[in-house]
Amino acid sequence: RAIMNALPQTNMMPFLFQDNRIHTSKYNILTFLPVNLFEQFQRVANAYFLFLLILQLIPEISSLNWFTTIVPLVLVITITAVKDATDDYFRHKSDNQVNNRHSEVLINSKLQKEKWMNVKVGDIIKLENNQFVAADLLLLSSSEPHGLCYIETAELDGETNLKVRHALPVTSELGEDISRLASFDGIVVCEAPNNKLDKFMGVLSWKDSKHSLSNQKIILRGCILRNTSWCFGMVIFAGPDTKLMQNSGKTKFKRTNIDRLMNTLVLWIFGFLGCLGIILAIGNSIWEKEVGGQFRTFLFWHEGEKNSVSSGFLAFWSYVIILNTVIPISLYVSVEVIRLGHSYFINWDQKMYYSGKATPAEARTTTLNEELGQIEYIFSDKTGTLTQNIMSFKKCSINGRIYGEVQDDMGHKKEIVKEEEPLGFSVKSQAESTFHFFDHNLMEAINLGDPKVHEFLRLLALCHTVMSEENSAGQLIYQVQSPDEGALVTAARNFGFIFKSRTPETITIEELGTLVTYQLLAFLDFNNVRKRMSVIVRNPEGQIKLYSKGADTILFEKLHPSNQDLLSSTSDHLNEFAGEGLRTLVVAYRDLDDKYFTVWQKMLEDANTAIDEKEERISVLYEEIERDMMLLGATAVEDKLQEGVIETVTSLSLANIKIWVLTGDKQETAVNISYACNVMTDDMDDVFVIAGSTVVEVREELRKARENLFGQRRSSSTGDVVCKKKQQLELGSIEEETTTGDYALVINGHSLAHALESDVKNDLLELACMCKTVVCCRVTPLQKAQVVELVKKHRNAVTLAIGDGANDVSMIKSAHIGVGISGQEGMQAVLASDYSFAQFKYLQRLLLVHGRWSYFRMCKFLCYFFYKNFAFTFVHFWFGFFCGFSAQTVYDQWFITLFNIVYTSLPVLAMGIFDQDVNDKNSIDYPRLYEPGQLNLLFNKRRFFICVAHGIYTSLVLFVIPYGAFYNTAGEDGQHIADYQTFAVTMATSLVIVVSVQVALDTSYWTVINHVFIWGSITVYFSILFTMHSNGIFGIFPDQFPFVGNAQYSLGQKCIWLVILLTTVASVIPVIVFRVLNMDLYPTLSDQLRRWQKAQRRARPTSCRRPQTRRSSSRRSGYAFAHQEGYGELITSGKNMRAQNPPPTSGLEKTLHNNASWICTMSSFSQVKTMKV
Amino acid sequence: MELIPEQNLSRLPENSALKQQMLPAHKLKFSITTVLSIYIATGVFCIAVGTILLFSAKNIREIEINYTNICANCAEMRENALNFDKECTCSIPFHLQEKMKGDVYMYYKLYGFYQNVQQYSLSRSNRQLLSKDIWDVQDCAPFKVSHNDTPIVPCGAIANSMFNDTIILSYILNSSIHIRVPMLKNGLAWWTDKYVKFRNPNAINLSNEFAGSAKPPFWRKPVYELDSDDPGNNGFLNEDFIVWMRTAAFPTFKKLYRRLYRVQYFIEGLPVGNYSFNISYNFPVTRFQGEKSVVLSTLIWSGGSSLFLGLTYMMTGLLTLLASAVIWIIYLMKKKNTSMSLQESMQDLPCRKAEVDNAVSEPKVSAVSQ
Repeated sequence: RAIMNALPQTNMMPFLFQDNRIHTSKYNILTFLPVNLFEQFQRVANAYFLFLLILQLIPEISSLNWFTTIVPLVLVITITAVKDATDDYFRHKSDNQVNNRHSEVLINSKLQKEKWMNVKVGDIIKLENNQFVAADLLLLSSSEPHGLCYIETAELDGETNLKVRHALPVTSELGEDISRLASFDGIVVCEAPNNKLDKFMGVLSWKDSKHSLSNQKIILRGCILRNTSWCFGMVIFAGPDTKLMQNSGKTKFKRTNIDRLMNTLVLWIFGFLGCLGIILAIGNSIWEKEVGGQFRTFLFWHEGEKNSVSSGFLAFWSYVIILNTVIPISLYVSVEVIRLGHSYFINWDQKMYYSGKATPAEARTTTLNEELGQIEYIFSDKTGTLTQNIMSFKKCSINGRIYGEVQDDMGHKKEIVKEEEPLGFSVKSQAESTFHFFDHNLMEAINLGDPKVHEFLRLLALCHTVMSEENSAGQLIYQVQSPDEGALVTAARNFGFIFKSRTPETITIEELGTLVTYQLLAFLDFNNVRKRMSVIVRNPEGQIKLYSKGADTILFEKLHPSNQDLLSSTSDHLNEFAGEGLRTLVVAYRDLDDKYFTVWQKMLEDANTAIDEKEERISVLYEEIERDMMLLGATAVEDKLQEGVIETVTSLSLANIKIWVLTGDKQETAVNISYACNVMTDDMDDVFVIAGSTVVEVREELRKARENLFGQRRSSSTGDVVCKKKQQLELGSIEEETTTGDYALVINGHSLAHALESDVKNDLLELACMCKTVVCCRVTPLQKAQVVELVKKHRNAVTLAIGDGANDVSMIKSAHIGVGISGQEGMQAVLASDYSFAQFKYLQRLLLVHGRWSYFRMCKFLCYFFYKNFAFTFVHFWFGFFCGFSAQTVYDQWFITLFNIVYTSLPVLAMGIFDQDVNDKNSIDYPRLYEPGQLNLLFNKRRFFICVAHGIYTSLVLFVIPYGAFYNTAGEDGQHIADYQTFAVTMATSLVIVVSVQVALDTSYWTVINHVFIWGSITVYFSILFTMHSNGIFGIFPDQFPFVGNAQYSLGQKCIWLVILLTTVASVIPVIVFRVLNMDLYPTLSDQLRRWQKAQRRARPTSCRRPQTRRSSSRRSGYAFAHQEGYGELITSGKNMRAQNPPPTSGLEKTLHNNASWICTMSSFSQVKTMKV
Repeated sequence: MELIPEQNLSRLPENSALKQQMLPAHKLKFSITTVLSIYIATGVFCIAVGTILLFSAKNIREIEINYTNICANCAEMRENALNFDKECTCSIPFHLQEKMKGDVYMYYKLYGFYQNVQQYSLSRSNRQLLSKDIWDVQDCAPFKVSHNDTPIVPCGAIANSMFNDTIILSYILNSSIHIRVPMLKNGLAWWTDKYVKFRNPNAINLSNEFAGSAKPPFWRKPVYELDSDDPGNNGFLNEDFIVWMRTAAFPTFKKLYRRLYRVQYFIEGLPVGNYSFNISYNFPVTRFQGEKSVVLSTLIWSGGSSLFLGLTYMMTGLLTLLASAVIWIIYLMKKKNTSMSLQESMQDLPCRKAEVDNAVSEPKVSAVSQ
């Protein structure tokens, strides 16, 4: 068997095939160390510390011991490396899980279980029903007649309806015959691996003939085989070459805004450091010249005869070393630790644990947490994320009466329905156990024999494209192409109108126990323009009837004038259904005259055989017969939303987060769901639909929409029209209203492709950003990513993408934060995501509680950290003026080494991990508390400068007060205490106490841990101080610990304590003044909230009220078919029928021909469709 | 609802206060009353401490005599390094107008002497001074060894630049009787310095022990002859030496030189009268444009504090009180508006509950209305 897969472009050169193994991990054991170190030293700060370390090894300028830098550096790098390694380990693990899935592969003429990763190009794989496809396959044969198979592509494009794939007639003959399959030796020449999901080009050469291969012959990785008990396929693309993997963008190293800001700030600090160094170096030169020179000769300091300039140069580097602590190396590691803590809180959150699937939330990336508090845009997938992808028949309106409304306890009602089912013996056995209908009025109506109700249900049982099948247990199984239809037919079945079977000419149903066979005369297929489908049947009594179901807008125009009253009431009902987010269909029938129909049928046959304008003629004929219909009623099917979606969406949009829905599904479905889950609302001012098929059209539509928008804005005279992002946190500003203006934009994939072109891009972006909601439908996975990239790049906003399927992977990867819905069958989305949980509703808690807290804590932490280190380091600058700029440190070297990592790290970490300004309940109840994060208010450059100024002030106080006090002083026993060592100890002790008091003031949520850490740190400081100044340790290492006896003596002096006390008071009091004033004059939302709640508690507890606006549904059509055209032909040609009535062998050629034609028409249809939508 | 398998329950996060972030906590609230009371308390406390400090500082009697230029001839002589062997003494008479009660301490005070220059302050050998290894001169650059490569003991710039004036205070009872005021030369250094940080080699004869070493170039006598009268005050244990070796934090500093031995006339301190300092002028401060003085001072409970600390306390206290007044005023001014605007602003905070209830219940409402 020679199977070759080659590139046409490369002159049939054999292509280097990838194996089917997938990698999402970054490192392996060998590359880990170099790659990881390389990545780490790309961080400005780490590189800087390495540089510092080298500087410190030069004795001339080394003002600090090398251990002051290397200990923290090694610590930091190790911790980060360990963390990266664990992250990657888990990625390896999940990769392995996917790679080790089994599939049946034909090896040595035998079917053997083989791991996915060992599947090679050219292998022949056997797939069974409901299995995931392991690689991109060329379909060879299947269990269904004519080599048909059904696949679900939800993982790839989010569409839930089944698609048909169709093997080549020559290969489908191979059937299940292992030996023949094994000897299959066709050669496939095809396109190079690419990411186009809907295109495939290739040629199969086999048995001296060539067969062209289209997308219809290909099953892609990530699909699920449905309704087909088995099929065989040959692997064309494997692993990274598969369209699925080609569609998933590259794993990017994600950084948060704060990270970037921190990097900028670190650079600024470097600059600042340089300036300080230069000032001090100049000072040093001058001092050397003016004072130092004489001083040196006095000291016989002849060595080197340094001139002042070179001394200044050396001093510069020495000061760079000393002042390096303004960028503490522990900053990064602390940030990581805090993020890790926050990630654990997410993992531990019971309120994000979904018991249904036993899945807790999981923070898969631990470096992005605070960004969760800054989200401005959410890009959500629809299927599986917002919706459960389960359709259920909810309500119907028959002859002007609504059925299916229940206000009572549902479980109770349900049981009654089941028990009281009148024709239980027959119905029950066929009823779907999952079906719930809670209104037994309908049952009564059926029992009373209401002819309209019967006709309604009969229609549902007759007018569809469902195929039926009995499984081994004798149970009736429906093969559904669209879930909507499935829901309707199942509903009819449960009410006693059971669709039994069909042949190309007949449909058999069981009507309340009696089998009735209808003759199928014509099948008027669905397409996107007609938005309806009809069947014409002859019942046993010989009457010809046309049954039709379709969108209300279309069908209402086709009704007989006598239906006026019914139409208006049904229309009301439809509005009501639509308002509840149900998908509606209108059903109608028409009694046909025998003669009239014969004439029509003749014309149809003529049209079918016509050569030119066939389509037009047929559609005119369809129009002709589908008129003067009698309205029966309407159905309402619920596309079940995930739990809590509405609350979540509402609450997130109150938090000023814009939600975009990106789906591969149809426009109607997408819009419908958007309404259902409150992404779009009825009180929106306008919905713009962009559906142009050329660049010019798209641009024109965008322009119009914009004009429209601006026009409306101007007329509403709310003033300023600036696209978001600039409004402050002013309460109740009018501008707020305008910027969150209620507009929605709906754009489909085709227009999007044009709109993403460079010059239209900005128009799109501008419009899209002014809209509250954007719905993109029919988008490919890559387009999803492009949309995300667009917003990310041009709006400079933080984006979050959430999805569940493989088609969301690229979007998840390109957004700042990717969230995967876990617990689904496919793991791809989760594997690519940064956070995963089982239900969309947890997004609310993730953002509003965890995200908000993380951001709040991180900002607080950073402010304090910069403050602390400036206070700590800047003292050296002041001291420089008194020590001849000689790079003398103020503190003991040990203190410098330990200050950041031991003495002051834990309290601030505790604050960064545990602090809460308002509790989780309030965070969720008042979504506007989320806004400071979006506007980046808590930590930005301005805040940074405030912190730095605060630090410098503290350092000044820390220096000046001891200086003044030491100027002319003596100890209690008259001894010398203005010595350097006492000064160092005093400064260090003051510093530790001041920063501890400061962190105590900053901590707004004092848990036990905070207490332990703060008090503990101070205790640890004193114990280490006394230990290092003790006699014993000096006796052992006299050079390392020269401060012997200092702590005991200095800290025994009353005046030292007076100094420490004064320093603390003087550096803390002004800060409290500013804070109190600030809180009084410019209170933040959380301040207000706290105060308000306090006031509330004091007063009577009132619940939060808002004027309730009664929402009336203005929207007309909730119509959405998940249909695909072409099924009518399948049915009438009998192609997808079981072998119970096999087509005559002579007719095989004909059917094959037909079949080829329908595939052609279908593909051309779909082209047209996508162009026109 | 399907039953959750047993092992799945293990995936349920633990319901502990820590993991659910529900740790009981105390919330710091800065209500206006607490802040103001803290402020006033702090302010009052600071003023009180300041007052006490200022009052007690008034009791300090201190005399400082700057003798840099009084002994001008000596100063001039010391300018020239060649004359460093020559003796030069000068006498500075002064009148004590008020009695100095209690313990009196004599300090020398240097101006503009940078004992805190980094290279200087590192130029010493703790191992040598501890007599762990008296030949360890590794860190002592540039005073490690003398010209003939013999190690300097004690080595280093600090030791080399030791203050070496001799100051003798005489009480002039009358023109003929000059009583040398008895001074103690022990108890000058910190206990730990004297008994831990500095040790002599364990030998009866120090000079033997130090044989083969050179004295610092600036010294006149080798280290084992610093005080030949008192063996406990000799060698590395010489208290003047120890005091000098404790480097000062700032270029202006005073170091304890002698303590008054309260006997005879001086049992109560220094009586009023005429005194004179007899100074053997050795330390050449003019060469680095420094100055030196001799200080006589008494102490108070907090040691020899200056006015600075008291004044700063007073100032801080006053500023704190001022700040509390400002806060109080602003609070009063805002109070009228606050109660109103608070209500308004809270109504403005979108309340999710109502909204969501609205959104969720809406379909039902409409359904009922049908």
